[in-house]
Amino acid sequence: MTTLGRDAALVAGLLASVLCGLALGGPAVGPADALSALAGHATPEVRTIVFALRLPRLLLALGVGAALALAGAALQTLLSNPLADPFLLGVSGGGAAAATLAYALLPAALLGAVPLAAVLGAAGTTAAVWWMARGPLGSSSTRLILAGIAANAFTSAIILAVVATAPPVRLPGALAITMGSFAAATPTAVVWLAPYLLVPTAVLAWHARDLGLLALGEESAAALGVEPGPVRQRIFLAAAALSGGAVAFAGVIGFVGLATPHLCRLVWGNDVRRLLPRVAAAGAALTALGDLVARRALSPVELPVGVITALLGVPFFVALLRRAP
Amino acid sequence: MVAGGWVLALLLAAQAAPVAGVEPLVDQVGAVVAVGPSARIVTLAPDVTELVFALGAGERVVAVAPHCDFPAAAAGRPRVQPGDAESVLAAAPDLVLASTAGNDPTVVQRLRSARVRVATLDVTSCARLVEACHLLGALLGREADADTLAESTARRCASAAQRAGRLPSRRALYVVWWDPLIVAAPGTFHDDLLRLAGLVNRAPAGAGRYPRLDPETLLDPTLDLVVAPDEGENRPLFAKLLTRPAGLRLARGSLPVLWVPADPASRPGPRLPLALEALLAAREANP
Repeated sequence: MTTLGRDAALVAGLLASVLCGLALGGPAVGPADALSALAGHATPEVRTIVFALRLPRLLLALGVGAALALAGAALQTLLSNPLADPFLLGVSGGGAAAATLAYALLPAALLGAVPLAAVLGAAGTTAAVWWMARGPLGSSSTRLILAGIAANAFTSAIILAVVATAPPVRLPGALAITMGSFAAATPTAVVWLAPYLLVPTAVLAWHARDLGLLALGEESAAALGVEPGPVRQRIFLAAAALSGGAVAFAGVIGFVGLATPHLCRLVWGNDVRRLLPRVAAAGAALTALGDLVARRALSPVELPVGVITALLGVPFFVALLRRAP
Repeated sequence: MVAGGWVLALLLAAQAAPVAGVEPLVDQVGAVVAVGPSARIVTLAPDVTELVFALGAGERVVAVAPHCDFPAAAAGRPRVQPGDAESVLAAAPDLVLASTAGNDPTVVQRLRSARVRVATLDVTSCARLVEACHLLGALLGREADADTLAESTARRCASAAQRAGRLPSRRALYVVWWDPLIVAAPGTFHDDLLRLAGLVNRAPAGAGRYPRLDPETLLDPTLDLVVAPDEGENRPLFAKLLTRPAGLRLARGSLPVLWVPADPASRPGPRLPLALEALLAAREANP
């Protein structure tokens, strides 16, 4: 298949995930009524369900999926490590730990502040990892990953302590944060996610060429005019902001950040500038489809979306890996 | 059969000071409990605590779980951590009473291994509550009080069901928690409350006792009403839901919420008929 054909398949997959998310969505409105709403012929009630309830949820899933996949692609390239993703570096864990802690401790009237806690937790963990990784000769990829592993162990311990001691009525919500969900999506949440997605994406787009050169090695990149230190810092912070925003509005959703960049490299190759937009689109489509399956598999029971993204994505990932040269 | 006999023998041997010649009892999860002294009782769940006090054996309760706040005499008892067997053993109980509504069966097993008599209640309906009254009455030597409480419970539940028969049947959900949306599934005592109040539970079976539902379920036009416990923790989340698209029917009033008193409706104990009567009163006011 040509590159154009692969791109067309990706766009078709993205459009299919959007259409399925709106038409199949939840249990209240069937596909026929939802499609009528999309065509502008449905009752006000059905239009409300499709456009005020399903659309924000779909947009949040698309945005979070794109953010996680972009963060994974940036970190894997920056650290020259195929295992790097927002989870390995502790950024997602920091956001999740702060969010679960806030959810368990805050009075019910202040639970709206949980996303803010997640962003602060992710930012604080990013700063801590960056500080821990700094040695006499600056921060290397190995030191960053080791610091991320240490941060992960610490934040996992906080989450476990919260889950073990949370008041019984708060336990389902605290667990929901650790397993990922788009159930609380609102138009406001989509608006709030936008800067966490758009600003870091602009930073990555600006430094896409530098990122590709850094993948060849810092000396080579420096010889070609890249300042490795500041560029690494900006890309790392952009990836952290993408991950923090995702955790803040959807909890912890695994696999998307790790596997989507690998899937895209197998299909489109290693050119970072060509890869990033495709990674964002693939991450968005995978997450939106994962959320749809999470809602429909046992409808009206809702499964954790993180479980679905892993269950659906891993076999596909393994199949592609086995076929790769 | 032989293996089962050995297990039974080991279980009986593990009981502390059984009364010779008295047949052991079987609790509501099928475990054998020897009849013996019950001068130092530890209760591990609020519903069990309320039952013991309702049977007039409250003075024998030496420690209770943290959330046991009813009746007032129970609130003053020393506390144990139900998830920590050592904490329970430190109260030197001769009888521990647990509930499937919140207690960890592995802790119960650990207490049994330490030769402590443990009985577990599994109240999933008003009928099972009546059975629990008789079981506790036999364990505590309060059979007459148990008969009275069981008869009163059965009568009130039957009377409520009779009143509900005069109301139109409605499709409902029992919402335990608003965000995420957690509901009571068939097989729970909440489901029985709905059934006795003439309501058909719309929660799906087979996904656990308290599944998490898609919030869009609240916009399902075939859903007639929602029942929810009226507690401080839940009200702000409900208010927040009213501002979201998923709360549209709730905000417009086309999906009424019948609030029931939180503790009686959340604890499968002697106040369960009170919750049922409150639910019926709300139904009759909003048919």
